[in-house]
Parts: sequence; C-alpha cells; structure tokens
Amino acid sequence: MYTSLTNRREFLKKMAIMSAMTAAATMFPGILFAEEQEKNLPKGGNLDWKKAPCRFCGVGCGVLVGIDNGKAVAVKGDPKSPVNKGLCCVKGYHSVMSIYGKDRLTKPLVKKNGKFVETSMKEALDLIASKMKETISDYGKDAVSIYGSGQWTIPDGYVASKLFKGCIGTNNVEANARLCMASAVTGFMTSFGIDEPMGCYEDIDHADVFVLWGNNMAEMHPVLFSRLLDQRLKRGVKIIDFATRTTRTSMAADKSIIFQPQTDLAVANAICYEIINNGWVNKAFVEKHCNFKKGLTNMGYGLEDKYNFNDKPEGITFEDFKTFLQDYTPEKVEKVSGVSAKDIKYMASYYGDPNKKVMSLWCMGMNQHTRGTWINNLVYNIHLLTGKISEPGNSPFSLTGQPSACGTVREVGTLTHKLPHGVVTNKEHREFAAKIWDVPAENIPAKPSYHTVEMFRALDRGDIRFMWIQVTNPMVTMPKLKRYRDACEKEGRFIVVSDIYPTPTTDIADVILPSAMWIEREGMYGNSERRTQYFEQMIQPSGEAMSDTWQIVEVAKRLGYEKQFYYNEATHIEEIYNEYRRHHEGNKHAMAPLEVLKAEPGAQWPYVNGKSTKWRFNAEYDPACSNGEQFHFYGNKDGKAVIWQRPYEPAPETPDDDYPFWLCTGRVVEHWHTGSMTRRIPVLHKAMPHAYVELNPEQAKEMQIRTGDQVKLTTRRGEIILPASVNERGVPERNQVFVPFFDENMLINDVTLDAFCPISKQPDYKKCAVKIEKV
Amino acid sequence: MPIKSYLAHPHEGKKSELVQALTSISSCEVIPAENNDLLIVITETTNNTEDNILKEKIEAIESLKLLAMVSGFDTPIK
Amino acid sequence: MKRIGIISLFLILFLAFVTVWNVSYLEGREEAYIPVDNEQPMTLIPSEIGVFERSKFALDYANMPVDENHQRSLETYYDNRAFHGAPPSIPHPVASDRGMGEDICLKCHQNGGFVDKFDAYAPVTPHPEMVNCRQCHVAQVSESLFEETNFHKIKAPEVGINNALDGSPPIIPHQIQMHENCLACHAGPAAPKEIRVTHPERVNCRQCHVSNNKEVRDIGEFKRLSNYDD
Repeated sequence: MYTSLTNRREFLKKMAIMSAMTAAATMFPGILFAEEQEKNLPKGGNLDWKKAPCRFCGVGCGVLVGIDNGKAVAVKGDPKSPVNKGLCCVKGYHSVMSIYGKDRLTKPLVKKNGKFVETSMKEALDLIASKMKETISDYGKDAVSIYGSGQWTIPDGYVASKLFKGCIGTNNVEANARLCMASAVTGFMTSFGIDEPMGCYEDIDHADVFVLWGNNMAEMHPVLFSRLLDQRLKRGVKIIDFATRTTRTSMAADKSIIFQPQTDLAVANAICYEIINNGWVNKAFVEKHCNFKKGLTNMGYGLEDKYNFNDKPEGITFEDFKTFLQDYTPEKVEKVSGVSAKDIKYMASYYGDPNKKVMSLWCMGMNQHTRGTWINNLVYNIHLLTGKISEPGNSPFSLTGQPSACGTVREVGTLTHKLPHGVVTNKEHREFAAKIWDVPAENIPAKPSYHTVEMFRALDRGDIRFMWIQVTNPMVTMPKLKRYRDACEKEGRFIVVSDIYPTPTTDIADVILPSAMWIEREGMYGNSERRTQYFEQMIQPSGEAMSDTWQIVEVAKRLGYEKQFYYNEATHIEEIYNEYRRHHEGNKHAMAPLEVLKAEPGAQWPYVNGKSTKWRFNAEYDPACSNGEQFHFYGNKDGKAVIWQRPYEPAPETPDDDYPFWLCTGRVVEHWHTGSMTRRIPVLHKAMPHAYVELNPEQAKEMQIRTGDQVKLTTRRGEIILPASVNERGVPERNQVFVPFFDENMLINDVTLDAFCPISKQPDYKKCAVKIEKV
Repeated sequence: MPIKSYLAHPHEGKKSELVQALTSISSCEVIPAENNDLLIVITETTNNTEDNILKEKIEAIESLKLLAMVSGFDTPIK
Repeated sequence: MKRIGIISLFLILFLAFVTVWNVSYLEGREEAYIPVDNEQPMTLIPSEIGVFERSKFALDYANMPVDENHQRSLETYYDNRAFHGAPPSIPHPVASDRGMGEDICLKCHQNGGFVDKFDAYAPVTPHPEMVNCRQCHVAQVSESLFEETNFHKIKAPEVGINNALDGSPPIIPHQIQMHENCLACHAGPAAPKEIRVTHPERVNCRQCHVSNNKEVRDIGEFKRLSNYDD
C-alpha cells in the first residue's frame, strides 16, 4: 500500500534523524535542534506549514504558519530564516490570532446620518470612484490624496503610487512611515546619496561592541536583541544602552548611560571630538572616501502651517570641522547632556579602538527627533571618521518598525517626493517611471505636495477634500491629534478607510472597506536589512474582505485607467511585482525574481547574478562598486560619503515652570503600533491591558503618587488622565514621564506636539513639556 | 530506496551558506543545530546510483568541511 | 416687664448658643469625615527588576547534564507550600536560628549545588536581595498539628496547558512578584523536571512568555469604547 510505504519511509527518516541527533549530542552536549522544539506540536495533526514574513515589526522574522482546515492555527519560527533562525517574539507566536477577532470588519460600511450602514463591495467601490471624480472636477486633482503605511505590501504601495502619481497626476501620496523613519531616509540620502543600511543583521555575529542609541531593543526588536544576548554568551561582546530612560534593555546591557532628551546631538559630536583629539581617525579611509559639508542651522521646527525648508549644503575642510568640534569637548558636553565626560570617553574609546568592531543600532529615539536627520548624520560621522562601515561587524544600522517600511515606503517610494526609482523633482526619473507606467511623462507633477503632517493640515484647511487611508490608524498616531481629528470630521471632507477592525480612524470614515489581512492574500514585505520576503495566500479572506491592492485596482478601473491597470485578478500580484522590478534594474538596486522569493526565506537587494548583497559599498561583496577601491559610496556622484557638521540645537518645547516635565511616548513588547491587531489577541491584551504613565520613583514618592493612582497630564494642547506606573516596566529620570501610545481609549497623542525635523518632516513624539498632577 | 543521515560540519562562518546550498537540493532535508556549527542532513533517493551521485554533489559544496554518515536504511524492493 | 425682658434676652442668647454650637459641631463632624472612593481595581504590570539576574549562567545551565537520579518533580514541589505561591517552608534542619540570609541560607541557596547530607540539589532563590529569609520561610520542626484545619489547598497551575496556540510559548501562569528572575526556578539541577526550560540560553524570557496578569480579577478581552452594531 502506498500509505504504508510512506509511513515506513517517514519512520525510517525519523530513525535516521534520531540517530544523527544522538550522535550530535555526544559530540556537543546541550546541542539544540529546531526539530526537537517542534516535538510538542499536535501529534498526527494534519498541519500544513507555510512560510511567511511576520505581520508585525520591521525585523521581518521568517515564520511558518500552521494551517488546519482552512484556518491558521499555529505559528513557529522558520529555522531556515537567517533573520530569526527559528525564534519569534510573543507577538509573532500569537500573530495568527489577530486574524480572528470577533469584531473583524467583513462588510463595507457607509456612513448615513452619522450611522454606519452595510452595503455591497461593488456599491462601496462605485461610491469611492464617483466621489474621487467629483472632488477632482470641483477642487482639482491635488484635492484627492492617499495615506498608507509601511504595512502596505509592495504591490499595495506600487498600485497606489501608480494610480495617484502616474494616472491621476498628484503627488498626494504619503505613508505612516513618515512618522516612523523619514529621518532615517534623509540621513542616508544626505550622508550616502542612496537609501537603506549598507550592512545587514549578520553584522551582529561579527561585531564586538553594540551601542544602542535611544533604542529599547529588548522590547521593540526582541528577536534581534536575543541575537545580541546570544553573542554575548558565546563571545563576550559588550552592549551599551545609551538612552533617556531605564528599560529592560538597560537591565540587560553591560552599561547603561542616561542622557538628557535632545542632547544626543552634543554627545555624538563629543565622540567625534574624542576620536579626532586622540588620533583615532582612519586617515586613509577619510581622505579617499569622505567629504566634509555643513548645512543651514536654526532651521525652526515646522510648527506653523505651510512651513518650508530647504537645506543649502556647503563644502568645508577637515580643519573647519575640527574647529567646529572645539565646542564639544566631553567636559563641555557633560554640562548639557548629563553624561559624564568619563562615559563619553568610554563610548568614544570603543569607536576609536581599531581592533574593536562596533555596531550602532537605533530606531525611533533618533528618528522621531526634531533634528532627526542631523543625529542620523552624526552617528554616520562617527563610523566614517573611524572607517568602521560597510564591513562585517562594523555597521551603523537603522532599524525600522513596520513590516515593509523599507520594502514599500522607501523602495516603492510612497512618499510625496518619491518615485519607485528616484524623485519627482528629477525629469529623467519622471520620464523613466512614466514609461513603465504607460502614462504621459507630463502626468507626474515635478513638485512634491504635502508631507504627512502638512497633508492633514491641508485637510483641515480644505485644500484636500478626499483622503483614502489604508492599513494605518492616524487617529491614534498623529501628534497634536485633536486638530487632525476635528479636520477629518469637518463638512465637505470625504474619508475612506480600509482596515480589518474598527479603530478610531474608521470612526471618522465616510466609507469603511474591509481589507484582507496578511496571509488572507498574497504579497511581499521588505525588512530593515533590504530583504524582500514573499507570502502566499494561505486562507480565505474574512467575509467580503478584499486585499488593499485589489481595492485600488478596482477603483482605478472605475476611474477609466483600465489600460494601466490591466492586471488579471488571479495573477495580479505576480504581474505587479514583475512590473515593479523593472524600475530597479541595474546593479545598485536589482530586486530578486519572484521564483527566488517563493523558494527562499527572502533575498537582499541588490540581487545580482543570482546573489543577495550583504554589505553594500564594499567591493568584496557589492557588485555595484566600480571605482577599483575597497569602498565605493556610489550613491553620491563623486563616489564619496559625507561627514556633516551638525550642531546641537535645543528642542522646540522644553520643560519650564508651568510645564516642568518632559513627556516621552513609545511602545511596549506586547503591542504592535496602535494595538488594533495585538489587542485582539487575548494573551497580549491580558499581559498589557491599558496605557499608563511611568514616573520617576523618587519623584512619585514626593508627589504621593502610587502605582494605579490617577494622574492628570496637561500640555499646551490639552489634558489626559492616566493610571500611574511606578517601578514597573521602565523607570524614567527625574522630571521625565513616559506613556505608551497603543491605547485608543487613552489617546496620549491628543497632547503631543506636532513639531518635526525640517529636513525629514518627521514629528518628534519623544519630547514636549507636560505638567503632572495627582487627581 | 536508501535513506541516510549525516552530520555536516561547515567551514567557520559558512553555516548559512551550507544550509542554503543543501536546501536547494531536492532530495536533501536539513536540520541545522540552533547553538552549534553543525547540521543534520537526511537524504532520500530512489536507488543506489542516485544516492552515489547525490553524495558526490553534497561533497562538492564549498562551504562543507566534513560530512560524516551516521546511519543508513534501505527499503527492500517488493 | 423688665424681668420678662431679661428672661427673654437670656432665652434668645441661650437659643442662639445652642444653634451656633449645633452648627459648628455638625461642621466639625463633617470635616472629620473623609469620603471613601471606590477604588478601581488596577492591573499591575510585573516589575522588570531581576529579569536578567542569572543570565550570566545561562550557558552553564544549557550545558549542564541532567542528573536524573536527583531531579525534582512538580509532584512533590508543592508539598512544603501551603498553597501555590506561598513561601515554602524549610524541609531540613537549619544551621542557626540567629543570623541573616547572607551568612546562612544564601550559602547554599544563592547559587545552588549538590548537598551530600540531604542527597539533593539546593534550590536557587529568585530573590537573594531579601536576606531576612526566616521572615517568610519557617522551619518544619514538628509533624503534629495544634488542631486540624479546614483550609482547602487549591491546585497549582498545570504544565502543558498554558499555550494559546499549538506550539506557541506558554504564558506565565503564576504571579511574578518576587519571582522576576525566571532562571532561578526554571533552570539548573534543582528545577522541577516539568518546568525546566529547554532553552536557558535565550535569556530575554519575556520576549516570548508574557504574564496573564490576573492580579485581582480576570482582565477579559479588549473592548472599544464605541461599536457599530447599535
């Protein structure tokens, strides 16, 4: 019998595996195989395991999803994935539960007289298309806009950009990633002329020292952090936590260094001072591969409507740079930053030691910063001065928070100034995109329109009348939220929201479209290390839910763009991806073919001659290097990277007598982004049911506040009451408080400030002044 | 139908290359150790000639330092 | 007439005094009363202190061979605990009735190890910073009882049923207060075999294992403030 034969073969295979494991265990006591951890999985169950990148953060762990009878029932880490090597975090392990929340949106809803009424998908799409046509004819094409996120799959973002920029002809395309990693992008663009990290996660296996710049990795990037911890056990590497607050990461680190908010700028410059002063500069590298530049200072903070800023870079010499750094001796910086000169010298000594490989890691702490571009530049300065870059283990590494912030927003270019290849301001880039999109080149406007904050301000003013929001929750995440919520509810605004659950954003919608989520559809994500990962459709969408890609395609067809949106429903993801790849042809950015993505746990671009590129700008690994040297920073025309002179400037709103505390916001390990998915996972909700305000224990005692007491937070934007948390998850410094932002029932963003980095336009959620009272 | 299991030692730092190379061979199953530079390789072929060819193919992989057979089974032909 | 006038004057004064005194007495009582607010039950997030305390031994734990002849088991683990979560009593004679933890108990219970005399491994305390051990842990001197008890010993959480999904990491079914240091009880030769972790080298335990936070009452599921059904 056939079955008995397979059974027998299965049995023999098991025997073979068992004997091999036993043999391995005698050689290496304590050796672990992923297979052993799977032994507790349902026995004899007919689980079908299919590979996908995790739905949640930008780390991009490979997961295997267990499917039973058309339902996703289990998750395990993919042992073959080089990202997570079989391990996940608590969110990943429970991720499939977020598909099955009871209040899942399964039908389109249309608001009539303030109430949502069910309708059919066809009618809802007709209504959206007619409303778009009407808005364009009444107010012009710049009155319609689309707002997505780094949770868009690559095809979602691609069709959104093609429809709005190519067909309709407006640059009103933005994404939540503007609030998340725009400063990382401008940091890369100004220093290297091309976006995204030069290194990869494998740097973790080579580095000797890790410096975490305002990055609570133990909670926010736990899987990568466990790779750090693993290296420490095996190789005794050092982990330095450089932050404003004591967290789980600080507890795990070898050294925790606390600085005053905003003064990371000064400390980074002080490290450069020390490197130069002690003669630790890698002179050969700097002479061959670096330029020195300075830009404008006192840029302002973008607090006023229609604020505009354009930097004017100017070349300087190494001597100028040295003179500039005289203001940043460790002793002087100690006074502003609260970091002792000894600690500054301690950090500098690791960067300066030619025998130590150093990896710097950061995420929101540096990006959500009114000088976010500058602080990104400054950390690159440190790595460039010492030549510790683009080599295994020597790596400045900017992490991301969304599954496809890199893949979709940065690479597809769903930002107002971007195209899949290049920028809208460049004529050649526009013509190149228009050719692939099959539209006249004049269609694409040469001028960027609104960045995210300004887009919502335009909606408030009435310059924008129609907004389509997909896969994100701006009514929880926008800073100074109340203004923008009121804007959405104004007369004469039409808001379409595509989502999977009711959220504060669907609350303000005129039409809600139910979206197919993650493995209910086919798609790709791109993670922080330039790895593109594919996932197939594994289960049927809930109710009438439709993928975000196909929603846009349907509307595009109704707007009369059948020619450009020629895709076949059964094969559209493949067709779109193949079309998208054409934008990135060439050694610098080639994307792997779909067959490769389907077979492997992702591939890292530039994917040239059947190979992923792990380290860019290094001739040994990167096929795009062409100057005959060991390094080639080909993003800039002269092939050189830029060391920027960027000073310390204070935050726009600092604590004073009326508002004596700093307010910092952030995340917790249990919830992802606004919690609209993770809060529907009972395990995670029970572990972290609501937001809170963390206080400094000493100060809480003085103010007679205990854990659980109601505390009122007042800023110039408004007030909010939260339960206090003393000595629990994190411990802030004196005169600082911390609030996680995931809780839609306690919207901390009602009181945050909408100041942003003038270069990247990314708001600073980490710093504003607040008053604290017990109620 | 020979089924064999091996322990494969990669060259230093080449573990992931070896995993990739082995995974791409269809008649090979790979179980990498989580905490050591060691892989378990299970091969399944239809006959002895195929098995020999496969073994040569595996031994030709550059990132492989040492391949040690642990056990082998053969299904009798019915 | 004059007399009536005087009497009524005094009467008025007396009444006025009574009224004033009464009002002030009542006011005094009112002030002394502090209203009792209905305190909302609050959920606590477990403290992070001590999470990584023993992580430096993680590799040793991983490489340690299992001594099957002396391993403990959950079957007997709760025998010297009044209930699940109660401080265990001391099942062996103690060296001295005076002196604090660091000289006496911690000698064995800080890092554990095999004790010939008891033919067992010493369990490791998850809270070595609390040195007045005998405040909570008392010796078992006598087997007899003063009077019988009707106390009902509830069952401790079971192993293997705390996963939300097949194969997903189990949640933490017990309180974490004073047990923040996972490896103390879940690794090493004194850990009961059922709860000995297979992967002690992954030291950031709460990356995958979260508490279910049932400090006061069950938290229930996430509820939005508004919904579209009504």
